[in-house]
Amino acid sequence: MSKAKTYTYFPGCMIPFRLPHFEMAARAVLKRLDIELEANPGHACCPEPTTFTGVDFDAWVTLAARNVAVSETTGLETVALCSGCFHTLAVANHMIQEDEKLKGRINERLKTVGLKVTGDLTVKNILHVLHGDVGLERIKKEITHPLTGLKFAPHYGCHLVRPLEATHMDDAEQPMWMDDLIEVTGAEVAEFEDKMSCCGAPITPSDEDKAFTLTAQRIEKIRASGADAIIVVCPTCYTQLEMQQKKATAKFDPEYSIPVLYLGELLAIAMGMKDMVISNARRYHRVKVGPLLEKIGGAA
Amino acid sequence: MVVLRSTSDLAFRNWVLEQPEGETLLRCYQCGRCTSACPVAAIDNSFNPRLFLQKILLADESLTEEQLVWTCLTCEQCEVRCPEHVKIPHLLILAKVRGLVGGNTPQGALDRARAILAGGRTIMVNESMLKTRDKMGLPDLGQPPVDQIASVLKEIGLAKKLETVESVYGGGSNE
Repeated sequence: MSKAKTYTYFPGCMIPFRLPHFEMAARAVLKRLDIELEANPGHACCPEPTTFTGVDFDAWVTLAARNVAVSETTGLETVALCSGCFHTLAVANHMIQEDEKLKGRINERLKTVGLKVTGDLTVKNILHVLHGDVGLERIKKEITHPLTGLKFAPHYGCHLVRPLEATHMDDAEQPMWMDDLIEVTGAEVAEFEDKMSCCGAPITPSDEDKAFTLTAQRIEKIRASGADAIIVVCPTCYTQLEMQQKKATAKFDPEYSIPVLYLGELLAIAMGMKDMVISNARRYHRVKVGPLLEKIGGAA
Repeated sequence: MVVLRSTSDLAFRNWVLEQPEGETLLRCYQCGRCTSACPVAAIDNSFNPRLFLQKILLADESLTEEQLVWTCLTCEQCEVRCPEHVKIPHLLILAKVRGLVGGNTPQGALDRARAILAGGRTIMVNESMLKTRDKMGLPDLGQPPVDQIASVLKEIGLAKKLETVESVYGGGSNE
């Protein structure tokens, strides 16, 4: 057994309080890989990047920088499980690195609370940790229940991947890291049109009908690929594609449904922790995952 | 056709150019690849990122009163395809910010901003959420430092602005 590695965990709002099964699955999977997540009480809302930015961008980047500064004090790399939080911290960190004037202005504000931001922090998402730090070989060793015969559609979501200069992901249009993680479980990756298109969620506060038109298009294209389930990283994408799926499918086929799993749940299942996923599914999945999990078979 | 609405006052354009990453506006030569890449434009032809950029270039502040700026997904598909890497969603964000005083902000966005300032989170955390975390074996996360949020934002004065601003944003479909 190698020594455990600890990351500073940036929790945000959605995952810990609305979708805690994300955190539970992620922690369980990471533990198998000798990784611990340590929260810091100094963190607050990232703030979210889809509406707060448009209320006051200067306030957004300042609050984000405060969170980055708190992370810097931990001396550890920071991982945000939520794509919105990750995007906010990564973009703010990048802007601080690139813009000395902005950095100076923000540090004047942070001085009032005894903090300072340098821009030296490494901000990661779950794909950086799993694909980059842990590596596919190591994960493969933990796969006790291969998902052979199943096909999954990776939905990356926009804010996890873009902009590349801040996110340090592999590709803005054809990212592959989640594909690789699906393959490691023994499953097949579904091929579908518009791999990187948006779930639609960001415009629900301004135009819900348009948002669900986009969600419907997204699900229809995935349906055509014959995927057994959609795999997501982002809690907002999850809410849109899973919790609100009926509003989208009503636009093209009210009878149709497709399970959506958080990437951490997928890996947990393949690592033999199916029971945990099933017990959380009752509360946090509206689309039944039972039939899908039966296909996997075997005791959990 | 280019119709210049306001020739005398470059305030909006100059303000945008002063903001971080705002100067990327000047690299736009109106090729329109943003619009052809945009998933919202694909379902609503009144949403046209190229024309939004044109308005900012021409200092046409009427853009900040348009509800349409808030139907940008911030998906950055336009930016990925832009040959000049103009920060298009960011420039639209600046147009949204500029529209706050006039109330061109969806109610949902104001509510979230107020929640963040008041409680340090976008959502209200209740007892049952905390109990659920405990049952799931997840650690207590404590209370966000709301006083620090107030302190670092003091100079910006957002809390004051949010006290008075009222959303006149209709929301829903196009007008």
